[in-house]
Amino acid sequence: MKSVKKFFQYDNIGLLFVLPAFLYMLVFVGYPIIDNIILSFQNVTVKNLVSGSRDFVGLKNYFDIFKDQVFIKALWNTLFFTVSCLVIQFIIGFGLALFFCKNFKFAKAVRGLLMMPWMIPITVTALIFKFIFGTDVGILNYILQSFGLIQQNIEWLTTANTAMFAIICANIWIGIPFNMILISTGLTTIPKELYESASIDGSGKLNTFIKITLPLLKPTIESVLILGFIYTFKVFDLVYVMTSGGPVNSTHMLSTYSYKLSFEMFKYSKGSAVANVLLVILLVISILYLRTTTKEEDA
Amino acid sequence: MDDDKKLTGKTNIIFCIISILLLCLLLFPLFWIIVTSLKTEQEIFQIPPTLIPDTLNLKSYAAQVKSGDFNMFSSFANSLVISFGAMAVAVVLSVPASYGIAKYRFQGRKLMLLGFMVTQMLPVSVLLTPMFIMFKNMHVYNTPLAAILADATIGIPFSVLILKNYFASIPRELEEAAYIDGCNRFTAFVRVLIPIAKPGVMVCAIFSFLYAWGDLAYGMTFIIDQQKRPITAGIFNFMGQYGTKWSYLTAFAVVTIIPVALIFIFMQKYIISGMTSGAVKG
Amino acid sequence: MKLKKVAALSLATVMVAGMLAGCGNSPAAEESTGAAEQTGAEGEETASAEGDVTIWYYWENEGHQKALDELIKGYNDSQDEVAVQAKYVPFADFKKQLSIGASADELPDLVILDNPDHASYASMGIFADITGKFDVSSYYDGPVASCTLDEKLYGVPFGSNCLGLYYNEDMLNEAGCTVPTTWDELKETAEKLSTDSVSGLAFCSLQNEEGTFNFMPWVWSTGATSYEMNTENGVKALTFVKDLVDSGAMSKECINWTQGDVMNQFISGNAAMMINGPWQIATMREEAPDLKWNVALIPKDAQNASALGGENYAVIAGGNEEGALKFLEYATSDEQVNFMMNTMGYISADKSIAETQFADDPIMKVFVEEMQYAQARGPLPEWPDVSDAISLAFNEVMTGSATPEEAAATAQSTIDEIVQ
Repeated sequence: MKSVKKFFQYDNIGLLFVLPAFLYMLVFVGYPIIDNIILSFQNVTVKNLVSGSRDFVGLKNYFDIFKDQVFIKALWNTLFFTVSCLVIQFIIGFGLALFFCKNFKFAKAVRGLLMMPWMIPITVTALIFKFIFGTDVGILNYILQSFGLIQQNIEWLTTANTAMFAIICANIWIGIPFNMILISTGLTTIPKELYESASIDGSGKLNTFIKITLPLLKPTIESVLILGFIYTFKVFDLVYVMTSGGPVNSTHMLSTYSYKLSFEMFKYSKGSAVANVLLVILLVISILYLRTTTKEEDA
Repeated sequence: MDDDKKLTGKTNIIFCIISILLLCLLLFPLFWIIVTSLKTEQEIFQIPPTLIPDTLNLKSYAAQVKSGDFNMFSSFANSLVISFGAMAVAVVLSVPASYGIAKYRFQGRKLMLLGFMVTQMLPVSVLLTPMFIMFKNMHVYNTPLAAILADATIGIPFSVLILKNYFASIPRELEEAAYIDGCNRFTAFVRVLIPIAKPGVMVCAIFSFLYAWGDLAYGMTFIIDQQKRPITAGIFNFMGQYGTKWSYLTAFAVVTIIPVALIFIFMQKYIISGMTSGAVKG
Repeated sequence: MKLKKVAALSLATVMVAGMLAGCGNSPAAEESTGAAEQTGAEGEETASAEGDVTIWYYWENEGHQKALDELIKGYNDSQDEVAVQAKYVPFADFKKQLSIGASADELPDLVILDNPDHASYASMGIFADITGKFDVSSYYDGPVASCTLDEKLYGVPFGSNCLGLYYNEDMLNEAGCTVPTTWDELKETAEKLSTDSVSGLAFCSLQNEEGTFNFMPWVWSTGATSYEMNTENGVKALTFVKDLVDSGAMSKECINWTQGDVMNQFISGNAAMMINGPWQIATMREEAPDLKWNVALIPKDAQNASALGGENYAVIAGGNEEGALKFLEYATSDEQVNFMMNTMGYISADKSIAETQFADDPIMKVFVEEMQYAQARGPLPEWPDVSDAISLAFNEVMTGSATPEEAAATAQSTIDEIVQ
């Protein structure tokens, strides 16, 4: 009985540690979430934003956007973009993390320098890649031509598929250091003794990697992927600056389309509905993630 | 799992060469804009492109110093204030929170974890208006505090999710040893656990700083006075003003990058040493 | 169990939010009642006109900013009742900031905004009705129409501009071309002028309002209105633009170029002709003093047409209306208008001023001539929707993702939903 009481006391102290941060987020982001949900069930447009009655229209906005070609395109784009970026940047980032945990002379310095792409404001990154992918001015076309890979300059940012490719490249460039540094940090938490005993047991490198590194790195990998997913899924600045969703809406993401509806076309409620679709998808992914991780913890 | 044994001889050299190649490949875009910023507008369009500028052109840099009412130095200072502020808020709140989540099984824990994840999922477009109204009511609209408070909301959930793994990997015995030494839960947290989790805390601090540093939407929306805005707003204006005048644009980009790079290289000593010292061991 | 938690959580959020909103609102409410009492006690007009007037504007052009600063300084020095200050909000952010400001009730007292957006904000109810307070009878019809909604005047035209055809004289002479006046001539000339590194013609074709602004002259020149895309004439305009791109006379990159970018292409010799406005002239002369260029009317199909650009002043309802109006009276006086228009390279929206404004400037004279053919976009509160449909259409056509007929049909169905 006593121990049960103690258990509760102990765990409730945890709440005190968490509460300040939680309340902070509740106030600054919780309220906008609620506000946005309400907005998406109303019919707020330019005419009744400030004055006039806001009628509740139920699911109308949601029905409308699912009939909207651009929305469907944006939804697909967002998924395609996220998955491509996530897979590629994770693999490269993981590779680099493994490479740089070897103790050679330049390891620390070079790994540090490789963080650079991540610290540059995204607005600037977008600008850099816009320049590199330029049709006439871009270095990429020149390189490809001089290797004889293409005959004519590719109009990267003015053709639907290649524009998407350019945006994915830019995002991967940002994402590689993010993955590398978090996985590197995760690798340091693996006790060296485990590797030592593994090598005594005579297991090979690949075997050690699969049997020891991966399982012990699982929590890190999971957070890297889920965080990566969330940040990639709501990508905004990069697309907004590089293509603004063009050409012909071919690179619109849910976030940029929602922004366009709300702030360029004055369709506030529709913009909210689009944002909510984004939110729901991320919510589902997060719940799945929490399911798997908490199961492990409970086990 | 940093190998303790130093690589020597041939292997060391091979690894060094590979790492330099990787560096050149991955940082080429940066090299390229620095070179471009030193070229004249004509040379930029020249084919074949020059790897080193034929004629050194510093006009693009000079143009920024005297550009309009936008002051690069003050906007840089604004960005620093905002980023350090947001970093402080994020670290102070998220370090205890992640510890609480990692080490205690209180009721509603999973829900709170979910809460932290949900809060970082909203696209900016829906956050701007409600946040704006809140900041106005709190009388912080058009002050750096508005941007600080908003930017911290990006860093907090991120830090909580990253740091909780750190705290979870610290063995309970360490904590219990602290209790035997006469610490209570809070002093044990401050004196024993935070120092052990230092590399994680540093990573979170740096990421929170950089999230705030890179923010454009908040700084631009919640601060209306040009002279109070962060440097990203400056680039954005510049892009509107000069479109595809690449010599100017790349020069501005370089100016935004260099100072951060310096800060970063300075701080990097701490992160990398934290990461590689293997402070967290079983 | 879980549902309960979620419900409790949302409830808590609403409560916290409510508290925040509540505690913020009450002092504001007190303030306003306090102010009302004061006004009552001190008498009517003087009290409310006193104080600050904040202006929002979006010109990133340094010359424009300086001109506005000087105008404001002149006014502030001339009296000590009202202190005016201007705040720059980037164009790309201007609409957003106004929308958010409207929701949060945090707006300036006066804005200088792009004329096609005027009707939207007027219908939002954030602009003061100033019918009868300004005499706009000597102004051009287009600019006045853009300030008017439901026969009420919600603003005063600031100044106008329109698009014209710029051409590189040396390139035309070398190729032995004359200045094109019709579509056929334009197409032929542009094709002749195109080489590997030079495109014959360039105009901004961004998929936004700026692109629509540059595309509309082609539509209007056929005789179609903005709302008649899926007609023989609408399709004709789309086909014309498509042919320009397909024949290589115009670079597809135009869909990523702002008007500023187009101007840069022109002065660096990458484009032989361009459609652009007079506000570029000062920069062009400064940046490329040796370039020989000239201006002509936009080549026509059935009739001359150009798009009306420019800004309007609008007084925010509920702000310092009296103060804003006093400043406007000063700013719209002949002397000030002349100063602003000449410094900025704008054409006065006031006909009587415009006609004498550029007596000895042959280039600006062309734009003044073009002004009489310039049509306004809208005015319609839903213009952003219409514009979006049109800009999508020409982008589809230029990138080859739809035929002119298909694009016109899609655009028309969107337009028909808005305009009955």
